[in-house]
Amino acid sequence: MSCSDDSTKEKLLWNVKKEVKQIMEEAVTRKFVHEDSSHIIALCGVVEACLLHLLKRRAAGFLRSDKVAALFMKVAKTCTTAADICKKVQDMQQQVEGRKSYSNGQESLKRQGSTTGRSVTLTPQALKHIWVRTALIERVLDKIVQYIVDNCSKYYEKEALMSDAVCGPILAALLVGPCALEYTKLKTADHYWTDPSADELVQRHRIHGAHSRQDSPGKRPALGFKKRHSSGSMSEDKFAASAREYVESLHQNSKIHLLYGKNNVLVQPKEGMEAIPGYLSLHQSGENLTLKWTPNQLLNGTLGDSELEKSVFWDYALIVPISQIVCIHCHQQPESKGILVLVSQDGIQRPPLHFPPGGHLLAFLSCLESGLLPRGQLEPPLWSQRGKGKVFPKLRKRNSSNKSVDMDDNIVEEISTDYVFRIIYAGHKHENITINYHHLAASRSVSVDDDEEEEDRLHAMLSMISSRNLTAPKTMKDSNDLLEMQGFGANLLPWQLNEFCSRGSSCLSCSTGSSPYDIPSCCSCVHDRTPLKLLCENMKRQIVSRAFYGWLAYCRHLSTVRTHLSALVHHSIIPPDKPTDATGGLTKEVWSKYQKDMKNYKELELLRLVYYGGVEHDIRKEVWPYLLGHYKFGMAKKEMDRVDEAIASRYQKVMAEWKACEVIVKQREKESHSAIYAKLSSGSSIDSHVQRLIHRDSTISNDVFMSTEELDVSERDIKGRSDKSSTLSNTGTTVVAAPAEPQQSVEFDSPDSGLPSSRNYSVTSGILSSIDDGQSMCFEEEESSIESDRTELSVSQSRKNKGILKMQDSISEEQLCSQLEFLSASDDISSLCPTSYTIELMDTIALNLHRIDKDVQRCDRNYWYFTADNLEKLRNIMCSYVWEHLDVGYVQGMCDLLAPLMVILDNDLLAYSCFSQLMKRMSQNFPNGGAMDTHFANMRSLIQILDSEIFELMHQNGDYTHFYFCYRWFLLDFKREMLYEDVFSMWEVIWAAKHISSAHFVLFIALALVEVYREIVLDNNMDFTDIIKFFNEMAEHHDAQLILRIARELVHKVQTLIENK
Amino acid sequence: MAAEGASGDSAGSPGTPERKEYLFKVLVIGELGVGKTSIIKRYVHQLFSQHYRATIGVDFALKVITWDNKTLVRLQLWDIAGQERFGNMTRVYYKEAVGAFIVFDVTRGSTLEAVMKWKSDLDSKVYLPSGGPIPTILLANKCDQNKENVLQSPAQMSNFCKENGFVGWYETSAKDNINIDEAALCLIENILANSKNFPVEENDTSNIKIAQTAMPAESKSQCC
Repeated sequence: MSCSDDSTKEKLLWNVKKEVKQIMEEAVTRKFVHEDSSHIIALCGVVEACLLHLLKRRAAGFLRSDKVAALFMKVAKTCTTAADICKKVQDMQQQVEGRKSYSNGQESLKRQGSTTGRSVTLTPQALKHIWVRTALIERVLDKIVQYIVDNCSKYYEKEALMSDAVCGPILAALLVGPCALEYTKLKTADHYWTDPSADELVQRHRIHGAHSRQDSPGKRPALGFKKRHSSGSMSEDKFAASAREYVESLHQNSKIHLLYGKNNVLVQPKEGMEAIPGYLSLHQSGENLTLKWTPNQLLNGTLGDSELEKSVFWDYALIVPISQIVCIHCHQQPESKGILVLVSQDGIQRPPLHFPPGGHLLAFLSCLESGLLPRGQLEPPLWSQRGKGKVFPKLRKRNSSNKSVDMDDNIVEEISTDYVFRIIYAGHKHENITINYHHLAASRSVSVDDDEEEEDRLHAMLSMISSRNLTAPKTMKDSNDLLEMQGFGANLLPWQLNEFCSRGSSCLSCSTGSSPYDIPSCCSCVHDRTPLKLLCENMKRQIVSRAFYGWLAYCRHLSTVRTHLSALVHHSIIPPDKPTDATGGLTKEVWSKYQKDMKNYKELELLRLVYYGGVEHDIRKEVWPYLLGHYKFGMAKKEMDRVDEAIASRYQKVMAEWKACEVIVKQREKESHSAIYAKLSSGSSIDSHVQRLIHRDSTISNDVFMSTEELDVSERDIKGRSDKSSTLSNTGTTVVAAPAEPQQSVEFDSPDSGLPSSRNYSVTSGILSSIDDGQSMCFEEEESSIESDRTELSVSQSRKNKGILKMQDSISEEQLCSQLEFLSASDDISSLCPTSYTIELMDTIALNLHRIDKDVQRCDRNYWYFTADNLEKLRNIMCSYVWEHLDVGYVQGMCDLLAPLMVILDNDLLAYSCFSQLMKRMSQNFPNGGAMDTHFANMRSLIQILDSEIFELMHQNGDYTHFYFCYRWFLLDFKREMLYEDVFSMWEVIWAAKHISSAHFVLFIALALVEVYREIVLDNNMDFTDIIKFFNEMAEHHDAQLILRIARELVHKVQTLIENK
Repeated sequence: MAAEGASGDSAGSPGTPERKEYLFKVLVIGELGVGKTSIIKRYVHQLFSQHYRATIGVDFALKVITWDNKTLVRLQLWDIAGQERFGNMTRVYYKEAVGAFIVFDVTRGSTLEAVMKWKSDLDSKVYLPSGGPIPTILLANKCDQNKENVLQSPAQMSNFCKENGFVGWYETSAKDNINIDEAALCLIENILANSKNFPVEENDTSNIKIAQTAMPAESKSQCC
């Protein structure tokens, strides 16, 4: 008993220790702890657990659910510090309660970044631990705990942690540290950067994720869908029961949703009466929408009960079931109110509703439109516009088509604020019309974005089509009353439509449209009013145009998908389950079977296993050379040996070459150093000295890209002229790659800004100094002469297309000779060393060696494999590779790519060969290749098509659709994003994917990474800084298997999109 | 928006005077291996380690400084990989920065040469709202390695700074924690002086440009 008690206490205390440590660490690393820090919550939790341990029933309060609260209250009776805390907490709780009832527990609770006041920032967890948390943040928790410990007998059982002579004081002592910290609430509106770490964001998302999804099912709530409480100004008590019932019906209640409410909407109840203000509301009960308008007199409580009941205003109140309404006319005059007229099925026109100025009319329509969904809709629908929400449909379109048939511009302009909307319901009897609406949803959003000019052209085309097919061309021509047609909204009276009552038709376009000119098949009614005829034409054109746009948008979308994506994936889908289930991956068993019986195993089948299930770790060493192309599947043992031998001899040769060169480079460096120091001590003119300093140390020069590029050019020249023998490996040749162009201060993006050959000059001086053994006296003269000569030379040479310098050039010959003399004297490498190293080549090599050394030293030093020995091997392989690819040179990141190969293969030759194979693809990602930009562009297309919501966010938040935040991902094949073990499985899937599903599988992994965290990205409204920081912090925290699975699914999704023709 | 945030804070903690908050984006650039990451780690976490990996792309760190009773400064330090000058991504990385450190290695003269290239890259891609270059400080790092130090006399260095438009220079050592805080203070002073001229100044709690750009996004998020 006591034993288990002890261990419980120990555990409790240990938890506190752990959390205290955490919070102190945070305080140290971040210099402050934010109130919302998850560490605070965690600490509060464990402290509470201690406080609750064997708390006396009496102290806990028999009936109270919140025992900590009860404890604090009890303690507060005798302890003033605790009393202060109690008061603070109670205040806070009140605030929170008040806000809750006000906001009805809406999202504001979760969105912390956007809030201002203190209470609002309390998270649900913070509320849960509000007592301990408040005490902690007020920095008195330790004192309160000490007080409780001192008086423990009052509150605790004997065996309690707090009563323990040792544990109790320890707990109090532990809390001294956290109570000395400063907790900050600082959180500015920008909430960029101080905010929670990526981990915390993910954690928070897990906590609220499920909940928030309920709130917004998949997408954001329909625009303009406002739930609100009616204003509190109404004193309901004063109403008589019946009236009260009515008024209450205006409120939101469990059965009836209030979709819209607006006061001071004017209605003229009777002819000859002044328009009176009233409260307009739109209610939804089940599928029924009801519009109510209640005169203010009935609401504002100025009438007594009896008066109210008898009030004449009841007669004026409107209750209109929307189901009876077929048509809505809107007149909106700029800068004044909007007028809305409802026309019901029977043709009766309801009294006009006058909305106050502002967007109220539009807001109402937007609510109505959402309320009608899913069964009904407005025709034409409102348009969604980026940034603005719903807007009136652009009539410019219709007008521009009219323009093409000689419509007068001015008329068009001034009437464009009048609209007629029909309310239509799906499954309506007029099928020939409703069918067209299937395309509406698609056409709407797309046509908004369309290029305007193109649109105009299309409209012109459309109007031609529609006039040819549906109307006699002359109809448009001789309609001099077009003006009247356009003004149909304004002049409603001509068509009060009484004659429609008898027909009971609810399809206006049809019932009004039958004119002698165009005879719709669905209706035989005859009207002789020209405005109606024109209205009908208009509507028809609208319908046709919408159908057309729907079709056009669909076609465009498909063609985008095809052109952008079809190259990204293989078109034939190789399933995970045929012929066998591949999710188990390539196991040892399968592999040994394959080796025994190669003929019965197809390469593709093995790759399929790898793609869907990875490779068992033990056989990676054997399998990877195949995956990377060092061996070919199906190779016989002999062939494999031959491959190995070839690689071995190549590796040895390359090693010998660059090692020889390295000796020269090192020597040269050493000498030039000593020369510089000689110079330094001689105290010569500072200016030239600075120059020297700057130029001397060519090993770290920046110009790697430029200079290697140049080198590449000259190399190619050589290849062109003197066979394909490369200067680098060709010993004894007299051909030298000359300095193509001086390279000092050459920028990557402005390769022609070369200055005189100060670079060559500097090198020259270095060598000369070594020859002269530090006698700096004669430098100036010599140097300058050399410089001018060489400048001339290189200029003339470069004019001749960056030609080749022969050794006959006396100066360079002299240099090299002396250099070689020196070298052969100092070392026995002359046999190995080619006699033809140029100075530029030496520079390039020195530079690359230096960079390699820098990076090798710091490559994954925390991973066990990289001991000094293995780092040396890494360096050898890297130098050999770079030696063979001096045109690209060493670029940061290459070590990261080689390291995992070394860990798995643990063999220099294999690693060297496999790395060379891997780099065939990866080198394209480095600055010289163009693959990175292609990746970014592909990401753009993919995200745009597969997740337009997040694309929109990226576009709007400072536009980071350049996707630079994926740079490291692509450069290193996600090597830095994953743990080592996961890098292995990710890489082999990427390699296998090339043959199974997509040569661009990395894109889909990147996409999967974005998708996995999309809710977090969206919820936190991330911008470029946020997202790049988020993913930096998430590095090595990803669930690699999940991401791979999603990536495979995404490939499949695109494959089916393309397949589905 | 920024005003709301700050005033809300001060209301929440009675007793403290109303505080201004600033968020400054500061770049740390220079050749590879000159010790950018080390300087940042030293400055932000008071640590020095031999074990940093080469930075690929960009890394971040945040330093919060209580400038005085009324001013809190947050430095958002962008640790940009030494190799990135050759890509076109620096343009994006530099965006909206208000100050910069350019670091070179005193043991390697060529990194000083590269300083000028970084500086002109910087000046061509980012400006203050007034159109001038952002305040930049030159850090001569690894000054603990005295033997190989190739630094020139202070007068020459000051001259160099003047000619190349640096607001100052410091000999620093991330290893021995020399002059890093001082350099940062100097940069902040310069940034604060500039921020007085920013157009946002009308509301006292200007969060400079970053806050401005945050506004539309923020309000958008609230409407749905």
